[in-house]
Amino acid sequence: MAAPLLEVRNLRVGFQTDNGLLTAVDDVDFTLDAGKTLGVVGESGCGKSVTAMSLMRLLPQPAGVILGGEVRLEGRDLTQLPIGDMRKIRGNDIAMIFQEPMTALNPVQSVGRQIIEAIQLHEPMLPNKALKRAVELMEWVGIPAPDQRVNEYPHQLSGGMRQRVMIAMALSCHPKVLIADEPTTALDVTVQAQILELLKRLQRETGMAVILITHDLGVVAEVCDDLAVMYAGRIVERGPVSEIFAKPLHPYTQGLINCLPKLDHPPKTPLPVIPGMVPSLKDMPKGCRFAPRCPNKHSDDVLSQRQPWKECGSGHGVEACACFAQQLSAS
Amino acid sequence: MSLLSVQNLKMHFPVRGGVFYTTKATCKAVDGVSFELQPGETLGLVGESGCGKSTVAKSVVRLLKPTAGSIQFNGHDISTKSQGQLRELRRELQMVFQDPAESLNPRHTIGQILEEPFIIQKMGTRAERSEWAAELLKRVGLPADGVHKYPFEFSGGQRQRIGIARALALKPKLIVCDEPVSALDVSVQAQVLNLLLELQRDFGLAYLFIAHDLSVVQHMSDRVAVMYLGKIVEMAPAAELYKNPRHAYTKALLDAIPIADPTKRRERQLLKGDVPSPINPPAGCAFGHRMKHPEWQESTKIDLRLKEVSPGHFVQACPCCVDL
Repeated sequence: MAAPLLEVRNLRVGFQTDNGLLTAVDDVDFTLDAGKTLGVVGESGCGKSVTAMSLMRLLPQPAGVILGGEVRLEGRDLTQLPIGDMRKIRGNDIAMIFQEPMTALNPVQSVGRQIIEAIQLHEPMLPNKALKRAVELMEWVGIPAPDQRVNEYPHQLSGGMRQRVMIAMALSCHPKVLIADEPTTALDVTVQAQILELLKRLQRETGMAVILITHDLGVVAEVCDDLAVMYAGRIVERGPVSEIFAKPLHPYTQGLINCLPKLDHPPKTPLPVIPGMVPSLKDMPKGCRFAPRCPNKHSDDVLSQRQPWKECGSGHGVEACACFAQQLSAS
Repeated sequence: MSLLSVQNLKMHFPVRGGVFYTTKATCKAVDGVSFELQPGETLGLVGESGCGKSTVAKSVVRLLKPTAGSIQFNGHDISTKSQGQLRELRRELQMVFQDPAESLNPRHTIGQILEEPFIIQKMGTRAERSEWAAELLKRVGLPADGVHKYPFEFSGGQRQRIGIARALALKPKLIVCDEPVSALDVSVQAQVLNLLLELQRDFGLAYLFIAHDLSVVQHMSDRVAVMYLGKIVEMAPAAELYKNPRHAYTKALLDAIPIADPTKRRERQLLKGDVPSPINPPAGCAFGHRMKHPEWQESTKIDLRLKEVSPGHFVQACPCCVDL
């Protein structure tokens, strides 16, 4: 089997704070093949955005540090690269789009100028040629009347159009991996559907791999091939989307899927909930981090000892906490 | 008698500019909205951002004074009352806001925040008020000693519970919930939705429930109204609306919901374009105009009122969006 396009091994990321070093991402592992979409879901604070930022080496400095692990893009470990080389990789090989396109775009420059800047940074070309390329890119991502829009400023565009501009910029140098951090969270459902459809089309045309970070399991079910469920800095379950939705193994994944209001759920009846809250980074259990909220019975050992990772076939793996590990081997 | 009856509500804002700051255009945020709400009932209000749903919410609690139309609450017309008269009415009419971080004063303790409604209404002694505040906290599932803490010491979901406790303080009959769970994570969202349902059952509350998440609205509501560009285009009992949508816009909205089931992936009919601006909206059916429907011209010539197509199911009868 060929080596995967992107391979993340035992990634650990921490932040230096007044309360000492807090580990936000602890031992995250995943791989991504060309042309595939990996969804990363989890609640706020679970480390999904920090994981994305560390892949790009864009952690806030000097507080954010990569404590260990590897991020291999086509075999090269990005965590060890000098910052100058990393700068060439960003945009060229890995690009990123963000949640709120209004804050990610410069409000005092026309969108065209911002796209041209991205193009020229990686590929020096004459201004009029770059402008032509920017217009082409805008047309490619479905912006109507691109030759007029190219001179407009971000505030003149709607949320969906701004996100399209972000995508045009990110894809200007044909990256191999696109990281989309909650790209549709700030958008209406109808516009969200447009943007997701656009991402699917662009992926088909370019064969890039996409990491889609979201908290919306509906979005994952619609567009992703694989899914990683993160909880409190760790991946608790990973596998093909169809497998995980059909047979979620970890109690957290089960809880997440169950607590969504579904259109076929009887209305005005209580929804299943995950009780309690995510533990604070300051006093994170050493073992299973979900144990304090887990509906299953468990012994105290579960809290103090790291629970093993177990592969259950066809790429579906789970952090097999003792509270349900026996059922796994039984089935 | 209905608890709340909104008739032909209009909320227009002048758009000013230029050297003399003259009115250049009118933003018709809400343009002729009518609905009724019975005691103990939940009416869901959905639509894309900019469709005017939050403006309706703010007019109902009279944070905005409507340009035209009437809002009858419990037999009183809110739209014409003075601030003093409103104070009395607001005991029974409360609001929960979207962002719990911004709707709680960061410099006040939770106790102060929860006692404020009583102070404004001149109710109880100091001791009684602090007792009531502690009870309210317990009622929404937070420990009573939380009254000495500040908002930053709570998580988003807990803050929203505090916002709900504050709305609950004066034992209202109607709570207007403006996107109460859209800032929360899914697991916390389910907790807050359950709390709202439980409170409704226990106190017989009516909700005007605004959200952009259609599955949340469907779960919470008895009836649902769909708004588009300042107007209600369809209103029906929740189950009926989701099963049998009649207006093309409702159909498009429902079709755009991502379904958390990978076996149900499908090719969608994507809506083209964006929501048009409510400044100088098109005449006739605004959605037909966006879709460039060939029969849109027809809709400018007729009266676009809501029409009852089956019991309780109202739809804006325009030739371009509805097959009648």
